[in-house]
Amino acid sequence: MGFAIFSYLREILACLDTSHRESAIALTVMEMQELENIFALLLLGSFVGMPSPPTFLAVELLPHMEKELQILNRRAKDACDMLAEMCGSLGID
Amino acid sequence: MRILFFAGKGGVGKSTMAAAAAWQLAQQYRVLIVSLDPAHNLGDIFRVALRDKKHRFTDSLYLKEIDLQKRSKSYLQREINVLSSTYRYLQTLNLDQCFSVLQYSPGIEEYALLTSIEETIRDEKSFDYIVFDTPPTGLTLRFLALPRVTVTWIERLRQIRRKILEKRYTIVKVRGCEKEETVLKYNPEDDEVLKRLNKMNDNYQSLISVLQGATCSVILVFNPDVLSLRESQRLIQGLQDLNLRLGLLIDNKVTEENRPMAEQVERSIRNLVPSVPLQQVSLVKALSSDSGASLYDIPQNIISML
Repeated sequence: MGFAIFSYLREILACLDTSHRESAIALTVMEMQELENIFALLLLGSFVGMPSPPTFLAVELLPHMEKELQILNRRAKDACDMLAEMCGSLGID
Repeated sequence: MRILFFAGKGGVGKSTMAAAAAWQLAQQYRVLIVSLDPAHNLGDIFRVALRDKKHRFTDSLYLKEIDLQKRSKSYLQREINVLSSTYRYLQTLNLDQCFSVLQYSPGIEEYALLTSIEETIRDEKSFDYIVFDTPPTGLTLRFLALPRVTVTWIERLRQIRRKILEKRYTIVKVRGCEKEETVLKYNPEDDEVLKRLNKMNDNYQSLISVLQGATCSVILVFNPDVLSLRESQRLIQGLQDLNLRLGLLIDNKVTEENRPMAEQVERSIRNLVPSVPLQQVSLVKALSSDSGASLYDIPQNIISML
């Protein structure tokens, strides 16, 4: 019985710890994702009509850009509700 | 080692002048002449068959024609192989062949040109002179500008990449090792994208320092006509923008009839670059027919002012 309570308490503390850690880095995570998005957009922006770097630069880095491409794709999907996305990330209700 | 680029409008005699200069230099030095023009005629001038390999013409003169199509293909094939190995699972569906469409990417030809120059300068250090016969002005200016444009892009991309890695590092340290992001590389030494950017940056910086250095110069070839003058003026402006040194002006195909025009064109060009020496080369009619004369053996000494 006592063991179960301790285990339960430990779980609550772990959850609190994770929640504090997550709220502490929420802005950093958002910044990182935006930077990854910008990086991909700069490199592969010719797909959406942006001026692009020399083609070979994009071709050279393309094999290692899987994650950035996923983020670019997700950003394109969320683009219709960016305000809600920003408010959600910044914890504004 | 000194590097000479022969540049100018199409048809002014760049290849002939480059061949003549290489031939004259080869009487005293070890010389390699490389044709970068997709429409090669270096082999025709020296009357030998060249196929993307160095050809020994005399003990001190070597010739080479760069096969741009072959180089573009081999570069893209390498990238296609990397992509195919990254997406290896596509092999099970036999879809990995779809990446072969990359070989039609625009801008790859300039890259192939630049890589050829870089490799030649790096690998052929045993020569006293490397003479490059370049394609017509437009393409020449584009590929000469490419290292600087590329370095600017690389620098910006490196800055962003470093910021991304810093953020990833912070996130991993705060979160511990549970989340999806922790499997991502966050050390600059481990990140493949940053490693590639750094390597490209080193290559292009060293190429820029060679191209802008005292051992490298561009030789402008022009004819006594207005079109050639206009294009030469644009080329001079382009070279100044790129900080490339103009070493010599060659007024080619001068005859008794066009001498007044030749002098007028020379005056206009000298107004732009007063300190650069100028050499006049007469039109030798025997060279334009298939008389068996050596096209590279011209009477004027064009290397004395280099």
